Amino acid sequence: MDLALQDVRRHVGRFVTTIVGVALLQAVVLTMNGMYRGNVSDGVWLIEQTRADLWIVERGRGGPFNEQSRIPQQSYRSVAAIPGVARAAPFLTYTIERSIGGRSQHVTVVGYDVFNVLGGPPTLAAGRMISAAHYELIADSKLGLDIGDSIRLGVHEYMVVGVTHGAVDSGGNPLIYLSVPDAQEVLYQQDNEAIRAERIESSRQLEALGFSGAQLEKLAPLVNATRPTIGAVLVAVAPSADVDIVAQAIRGGLRLEAFTTSQQRELMLKGRLARMTAILGLFRALLVVVSIVIIALLIYVLTVEKVRSIATLKLIGAPNWVIVRLIMEQSVVLTLAAFTLGFALIAMTKDRFPRTLVLLPFDTVATGAVILAGGMVASLVGVWRALRTPPSAALGA
Amino acid sequence: MNILRVDYLTKVFGQGDRSVTALDAVSFSLAPGDLMGLLGPSGSGKTTLLLTLSLVLEPTSGVIVFGDRELYRDGWASGLDARRFRRESIGFVFQGHNLIPFLTARENVALALRLDGASRQAARRRAAELLDYLEVGHRAGALPAELSGGEQQRVAIARALANEPKLVLADEPTASLDTERGLKVIELLKRAARDHGSAVITVTHDERMIAGFDTVWRMKDGRLSLDGDSASAPFTFAH
Repeated sequence: MDLALQDVRRHVGRFVTTIVGVALLQAVVLTMNGMYRGNVSDGVWLIEQTRADLWIVERGRGGPFNEQSRIPQQSYRSVAAIPGVARAAPFLTYTIERSIGGRSQHVTVVGYDVFNVLGGPPTLAAGRMISAAHYELIADSKLGLDIGDSIRLGVHEYMVVGVTHGAVDSGGNPLIYLSVPDAQEVLYQQDNEAIRAERIESSRQLEALGFSGAQLEKLAPLVNATRPTIGAVLVAVAPSADVDIVAQAIRGGLRLEAFTTSQQRELMLKGRLARMTAILGLFRALLVVVSIVIIALLIYVLTVEKVRSIATLKLIGAPNWVIVRLIMEQSVVLTLAAFTLGFALIAMTKDRFPRTLVLLPFDTVATGAVILAGGMVASLVGVWRALRTPPSAALGA
Repeated sequence: MNILRVDYLTKVFGQGDRSVTALDAVSFSLAPGDLMGLLGPSGSGKTTLLLTLSLVLEPTSGVIVFGDRELYRDGWASGLDARRFRRESIGFVFQGHNLIPFLTARENVALALRLDGASRQAARRRAAELLDYLEVGHRAGALPAELSGGEQQRVAIARALANEPKLVLADEPTASLDTERGLKVIELLKRAARDHGSAVITVTHDERMIAGFDTVWRMKDGRLSLDGDSASAPFTFAH
């Protein structure tokens, strides 16, 4: 006779409530798992999906993701001239906060050379790639935009021609792809008042230096002209060339910094992502421990409630394994049912979660195994309590 | 042959000045069909005697012989498995009925049989027979909480008789019942003892139940005496 299952059958409501409670806790554990992996996945998504062999950034800087990098736009032409470089393309990325779809959204803009394969979105969920130099964009589905929608960025309207799915920056914010000139305009475009104020200030400085009249009119446009910069140059190395040698040539010849994709990935993992990854990992471990402690407490309480029955069982001659099975089976049923329910909850809701959740099968199985094993070990407290219960307790002695 | 013989059974708790003699040279014997009433005030040693006979408490000295097997003489007999012995040879009826609350009446009775190795079908059949015998067959599917006190006690008696034990130990089985239901329970125990050839020791402090027992023994300060006799009376319950 399976005493544990009979107990569950006769107290279905209480067990279901307990299972739901533990399941919610397990769901939080799995969410942490997903966030931990999602944090890394989001963090390196843009690096990996850009598929450049080399990232060329400002000398002495760890850009373009970990810190700002500004290099002259035309430097990509110099890079392209280095032996072993098959293609070089300008690349620009920055974050903006704009009202899109009726709500303020934090978005990362990626500017890429739309006529070069490098730097654009790897695949589209809908629509097409940008084919015009201006006023077209590709947006991630997280933004809620459809093909043909237009949004205002700065002084121009941009039309959505393509939609990506899962294109995010290291913070999980959706990406918008623009052509490099458009991205520069959105980044550097000042409003009219600011431009006017800057021109007045430039004229005042030139006058102070003794320029006036026709000289001032010739010099003013030069002084006020903005020289757009880019964040990085993406490089595709020729199949026959050695990536490290090409990188070395760029570092030495152009006095720029060159990172391979794996170095860029390492920079991201050890820089921007490191602290968050550590925090999420810590929370993950703490939640697993909390889960196990709560399961242990529940099993202990369930055991204490049954002390008189356990004493009776001992007095009427039940062997210890019957009592141990009663407790351990309930621990296993509680843990497995709660974990399954918790997983189902997360699997159904993960796409609506504000951050990317990556539920790897190995992580899920390993977490389930750790919680199950931990729960069983912890329920030994209940077993210990049961085995210490004297049969005489049945007689009230 | 006697079912149980106890000679000069003594149980002392603690040592030195703080020692308490719970059983003081208790001696008696029981034959099949005997229904022994054991009366005495709280702390007189009644429960200690039951726990000692259940092999839960080890005596300090004395002899316990069960059938032709000596269970205790200056120590438990070698190879004695107390739980197995209880499972096979002793039935228990408790003051608070002590039915497993999440098992039905039928399952409570069948549990004792299943623990002793009976198949599921055999256990169900035997449980149904016993519940019918104790006139609670119609309540077989009810949980203990759904049964009246009297019904619960009948189910407890059915469980105690499930493995056809030679000895039934009943601890205050009538404590939570009125006189009429209490006497009915004593009557059921007497009938069960007679029909199954068991001996029954019933501990009670309820004087109203005296009429139901074959023999009434009293305990005071650990000493056992036949009702009306203040002296310890070894071997007086002879057959």
